[in-house]
Amino acid sequence: MTEARLQITDQQGRRVVPLDKPVFIIGRRTAADLQLVNADVSREHAEIERVGRQYLLRDRGSRYGTFVNGEQVTEHPLEHGDRIRLGRTDGIELVFMTEASTHASGLREAASDAGDLRQMAAILNGLRALGTGRVLDEVLTLVLDSALDVTKAERGFIMLAKADGELEFKIARGLGRVTLPGTSFTTSSKIPREVYQTGQSRIVGDLMDGNLAGMHDGTIAIGIRHVLCVPLSVTPIGSGETTSRNVIGVLYLDGRERSTMLSQATRSSLEAFATQAALAIDSARLYAESAEKARIERDLRIAAEIQRALLPEPTYENPYATLAASSIPCRTVGGDFFDYIEVPDRGLGFALGDVAGKGPPAALLAAAVQSNFAAQAPVTADPADTMTRVNRALLRRAIEARFATMFYGVIGSDGRLSYSNAGQEPPLVVRRNGGTDWLETGGPVLGLLSMASYEFDAVSLEPGDLVVVCSDGVTEARNLAGEEFGRDRLVAAMTDAHGSRPEAALDALLGAVRKFSEGAAQGDDITAMVLRYGNT
Amino acid sequence: MQIQEKANGDVVVLTVNGDITLNAGGDVLLKDKVQSLLQQGQTKILIDLGGVSYVDSAGLGQLVQIHATTKNQGGALRLANVTKRLKDLLVVTKLVTVFDTYNSEQEALAAFK
Repeated sequence: MTEARLQITDQQGRRVVPLDKPVFIIGRRTAADLQLVNADVSREHAEIERVGRQYLLRDRGSRYGTFVNGEQVTEHPLEHGDRIRLGRTDGIELVFMTEASTHASGLREAASDAGDLRQMAAILNGLRALGTGRVLDEVLTLVLDSALDVTKAERGFIMLAKADGELEFKIARGLGRVTLPGTSFTTSSKIPREVYQTGQSRIVGDLMDGNLAGMHDGTIAIGIRHVLCVPLSVTPIGSGETTSRNVIGVLYLDGRERSTMLSQATRSSLEAFATQAALAIDSARLYAESAEKARIERDLRIAAEIQRALLPEPTYENPYATLAASSIPCRTVGGDFFDYIEVPDRGLGFALGDVAGKGPPAALLAAAVQSNFAAQAPVTADPADTMTRVNRALLRRAIEARFATMFYGVIGSDGRLSYSNAGQEPPLVVRRNGGTDWLETGGPVLGLLSMASYEFDAVSLEPGDLVVVCSDGVTEARNLAGEEFGRDRLVAAMTDAHGSRPEAALDALLGAVRKFSEGAAQGDDITAMVLRYGNT
Repeated sequence: MQIQEKANGDVVVLTVNGDITLNAGGDVLLKDKVQSLLQQGQTKILIDLGGVSYVDSAGLGQLVQIHATTKNQGGALRLANVTKRLKDLLVVTKLVTVFDTYNSEQEALAAFK
């Protein structure tokens, strides 16, 4: 803990007195440790006693009472920033301080001693150039404390405009470098709004004057009478020679005393200062926004990695079947998935699914569908039964109007393929001599209908036959003319593929889609899987 | 997306124009509309989709949801003028049996009688 001290502001100016005695007496008489000459101050008005690490303020039976932050007290443990008032003496202000000055406030002191905001502006400019202005709150604090130091105003606020143009309190500070608690404060609402809209400073010498009082009831009630409000504005990038400036908010200072804040000199130097301050605030804000954006992008990249990790290896082979699969999300993460699983005594199960929607919500649901599938597939030998179970599991966790489509097939060592198709784009069977089949039997999409029933069908595959399963991102891929890839082009791309390795057939299919779409941006995830029966 | 509402006897006819998609916000708009009709005690609802060029998966999900909600509340929902594209989508997703679809408003209205 740094040495406790009192900052006194009265007609003699401002000074700081250390509380260097166990009991520190404040009063009008000469023998007091701090002598204050004022009719409201009693001869021995109050004392501050050091008790351990604490400082206790005690009223010594004064005539007009002792106040801390506006509340009358008889005994009160002091905290950094507490304002002490003796009687009705608005002309004398005592601020209790214990906390150390930071390096930055050291700079501030140098500046305010010189009494020159221009110097502060130069420091701020330097901070900005050094990139120290990265943390918005620090910049705001520095700006406000400097303004308070120089103007001797009691309270200071920085209000920044939100997207809708409403002003929002960003920070509130009081003399003595304390943050005023709370998120909303009694200030004039009219003055900041005017300054924000016109970009012109306002000095209001006395809210009690003229017709103003009626409009500022709330402010006057807490004794605030003098207001200085300057715009925080920056020149928009690329605006060249134009004089248009972008007002990002206002700096608002007020107090009960006239102090120096009302002088024309203070006003013009504060305006110059506000220009530098606005730049520093703006760059800190931009930095914060880009940092937030970078964080979201990083999260998405991690999500994409996790999603890739959830998918199995893109190729698989057992003694009678080989498969290859690929999934290309149109955004960082996608709503498509594929999976395969050895079903004991039945064969190799393989599935491909597509969740309605795109991006992170679809990716989460895709993960849920995939894990449900992986849990249900080994339980039953019948693909239709698997679908029914997955559908029920999804309905139990119903997410309104979100659904998934899925194809699930099981290929046995004898070439028998049993399958069920839940609303998925029908897979293509490529047979010898260019024969084709579409695997359509099944039921409706998953996760929407509690009464949905699923059927299965079975077809026989010969060695070399291929099953091509794809998401609608393949058949609905568009070229620049807006045409769709469609099923005919899918068949054409697979014409000569019979018997070839699944990786090669998959490459041929994706190559055909790429060539067709000619680099047109795709609106959907593109996922495909090719399975070949028989390892020739 | 725009929805026009008119009454034909005790049937409320909603004529939809534009896309029913997540991006167009149309999916929720239509659902909210039907929800408020049901709350007002309207149970016979006909949606004319003749002016709908595109329905994405989110829009399709909402159509199913709307259908289920109407049915659960003792009402009936019918679709008229379903475009070929939407019909194909209903066939692939095997949702075609879920909906009562008609080629024209007149046919759909007659089915309510």
